Amino acid sequence: MHYPFWYVPGLTSPMLIALIAVFHVLVSSYAVGGGLFLAMEVRYAHRTGNKEYLAYLKQHTWFFVLLTVAYGAITGVGIWWTIGLASPLPTEFLIHTFVFGWAMEYVFFVLEIVAAFIFYYAWDRLKPRVHEQIGWIYGISAWISLVIITAVTSFMLNPGNWQNNFWLAVLNPQTIPQILARTGASLLLATLYVFLHSSFRANNASVRTLIAQRSSRPAMLGAALILLGGLGWLLTVPESARAALTGAAALNIMAVTIFLLTVVVLFMFYYGPYKNPSWVSSGFAILLFVLGVIVTAEGEFVREAVRKPFVIYNEVYSHNVLKNEVPTLQQTGFLNGGVWTRHYITQRFPEIKTAEGKIDNARLATLPQDSQVEVGHTIFQYHCGSCHASSGYSGMKEILRGWDAPMLEKLVLNLDRYHYFMPPWSGTPEEAKMLTRYLETLTSPHPMETAGGRSSGVQSAASAR
Amino acid sequence: MNDFPLAPETPLGSPAPFWFILFFKTLGFTLHMIPMHIWFAGTVLIALFSLFGSAHARLLAHRMINALPILIALGINFGIVPLLFIQVSYYPVVYPANILIGWYWFAVIPLLIVAYYGVYYYAVQVRRNKVTARGVFCGVISSLAFLAIGYIFANNFSLMTNEPQMMAAYNRTAVGGAVTGTALNTGDPTLLPRWLMMFGLALTTAAVYILVDTVFLAKRETEEYRAWAAKFAFLLHTVGLVWFAAMGSWYLFGALSPELRQTAQSSVGVLFGLTAVAPGLVWLCMLLGRSRASDGRIALAAAAAQVVVLALNAVSRQWLQNVELARFFDPAKMRVETQWSPMIAFLVLFVLGLGVVGWMLWQLALALKPQPAMASSSGGSPKPRKR
Ligand code: HEC
Repeated sequence: MHYPFWYVPGLTSPMLIALIAVFHVLVSSYAVGGGLFLAMEVRYAHRTGNKEYLAYLKQHTWFFVLLTVAYGAITGVGIWWTIGLASPLPTEFLIHTFVFGWAMEYVFFVLEIVAAFIFYYAWDRLKPRVHEQIGWIYGISAWISLVIITAVTSFMLNPGNWQNNFWLAVLNPQTIPQILARTGASLLLATLYVFLHSSFRANNASVRTLIAQRSSRPAMLGAALILLGGLGWLLTVPESARAALTGAAALNIMAVTIFLLTVVVLFMFYYGPYKNPSWVSSGFAILLFVLGVIVTAEGEFVREAVRKPFVIYNEVYSHNVLKNEVPTLQQTGFLNGGVWTRHYITQRFPEIKTAEGKIDNARLATLPQDSQVEVGHTIFQYHCGSCHASSGYSGMKEILRGWDAPMLEKLVLNLDRYHYFMPPWSGTPEEAKMLTRYLETLTSPHPMETAGGRSSGVQSAASAR
Repeated sequence: MNDFPLAPETPLGSPAPFWFILFFKTLGFTLHMIPMHIWFAGTVLIALFSLFGSAHARLLAHRMINALPILIALGINFGIVPLLFIQVSYYPVVYPANILIGWYWFAVIPLLIVAYYGVYYYAVQVRRNKVTARGVFCGVISSLAFLAIGYIFANNFSLMTNEPQMMAAYNRTAVGGAVTGTALNTGDPTLLPRWLMMFGLALTTAAVYILVDTVFLAKRETEEYRAWAAKFAFLLHTVGLVWFAAMGSWYLFGALSPELRQTAQSSVGVLFGLTAVAPGLVWLCMLLGRSRASDGRIALAAAAAQVVVLALNAVSRQWLQNVELARFFDPAKMRVETQWSPMIAFLVLFVLGLGVVGWMLWQLALALKPQPAMASSSGGSPKPRKR
């Protein structure tokens, strides 16, 4: 449409975003929660004069800086990098809404980096009070950067009545619930990292007990915040997302597991490390860590999935079309609406180009059969390719077993009726015919049928192979 | 040619006036270049010195790699600003270029992770004074990864302003009108000189960095090392300068289209003249500094002049980018809907942030100040290095 579509075979390009996002969130949550943990605990160790604990914290900070400062920044930029490739129109929209939000976030990133390195490298040189202050500068900057980016992700799910205003966009209905949940996840995940690290690295039993007891408190607080934020999230999520959540089996199973696992983890913390600190063995730490990773990954997946068919709710669809463009596209054509699709098709098939350089929809049906399939392929790439691979992830070949041409055409024309996950059909009836021609080539017999079935669709598919 | 499929203008308008975007884009890029040059040229030097260098050269490599984890982390963040603002005003050409080279562009992320952790691994070995072949190998891998990233960037930014090349890349890689993201801009004659020119400039920045390091931060090293390092910095700067001049000439006179060169010379010949001459000033500083390994003023002058050189470069590049794009796209014509209060909030935070960074650096300086009892070390006798 507005931009060339990046065709990633078998996977679809938006899946690359999800991949990087999970890798990012697992570490960036630790960057926030771990920063607060270190500031807090260094203060405690200084106050109580606990040299052994302080020594462990220094060791932990090394691991923390190693993992968060560069990896967190690179994968964070990486998400942004990838959304520009896979969803350029929503990215363009977000950049023009939030550029100053990101610019502010950049200030906090710089503070984080400078603070983190000074905190670690001048550990033994700084006066205790200054050391603690720098720890807090790190922790607070990291948390504010979480707040800013959460304002953007919550906007994507429910912009509310934002009237093209930055501050209203930042304070959307989802902002506070999501900040609560993300802060909670940061505290919880940070504790899991601390357990994991200390169960291998803290040799001193009394230090391990101290860690188990002290850091299970932020973890329990974190779990409670996740539950609270999650509830608020459910209450402020738009109707389509709630429908998706309750309607799709995979999603509601995930949502329920997130909820249950969080409760389980909360109890594990209470009866485990909090009451019985000696329980924290490496096995226990690994188990908790794996649970935390599962919850986080599922949370990200649900967050991405329930936005469908939008990338930015009520504004931009997943197929890189603005919501208010759809009526025009239905009148003048999907292919005409996109600068790249129009360019491609008029070059490829000059015989259907009008004097103004547009595509003549009425003449599409005059093209030879295999040219029609080609036109349909282009429509598929741009209209469906963000969510469906032709074969692979949510693959058409796999979905379309047993479908025939009349069913396909009806589906295409009523896309959003068939499934509210899908955007409305954004082209002309003639274009729907072209897409149907292409989809027919992907159909195969119903799994229960023997080859050479009843409908023309099945036959043409069979002959196409 | 005006049939490039430009994306329609965003309904939201530009959130800031065009001059504001340009200012922060060039300022941000200047700030990004400082650390970026140190690692871009630095990792190559480190790799070469670790493999083939003398004792002094290896010490220099170790000193540099020690600082790189911090510099890289900062430099990546400094890159955020220009990358943000380029998308605000240049989106109709940025995204198509990114997407056309999609897989390479995507590969920057894993490459950067490999490069960073390669450096980190090596740096940890140096700090523990236990350098092994594996550490050196990691350093070599990092330098290659950074070179590759530079090459990908050069592809992206040369492609972005070159309409015929973008269309050619599209036609080469289209599948049903979508693209595979496997194009490179190799048919563009400006690609190689652009990439290599940046490397030459990076050598000069790295040279200035070495002088600054030697004068201010290497007080614990031996006199011989510091004398050697100051001389080497001069040598490196000279090589960088010759390299930069050669590649710059190739770029301007051998690769850039004659019409563009004409426009450039007639309208802002002064800017280009300054950009070409300014590095000479730094070279003079380096010449003076070459035998004065403890003269802080000369090192500071060299550093300040180098910042000016980089700023001039950023401005020239920006200017040329606009001229190249003017053939089919004019970002200045976009509708502006300035977001005043967020902009002011950002500027205020920016200043406050600088204040907090200043405070932290001040605390660091206080903490690292040698205790009065051991302050006599500035004299002759070499002290053992702190590991
Ligand atoms: C916003 C993402 C999105 C877009 C764009 C999209 N779909 Fe879907 N589609 C889905 C989801 C999600 C499902 C249901 C999950 C599944 O079965 O994989 C689905 C289901 C389907 C089904 C099965 C329907 C059923 O009743 O079982 C078909 C066929 C289909 N899509 C075809 C298309 C075609 C053709 C297009 C392009 C015109 C398209 N989709 C565009 C997300 C999308």
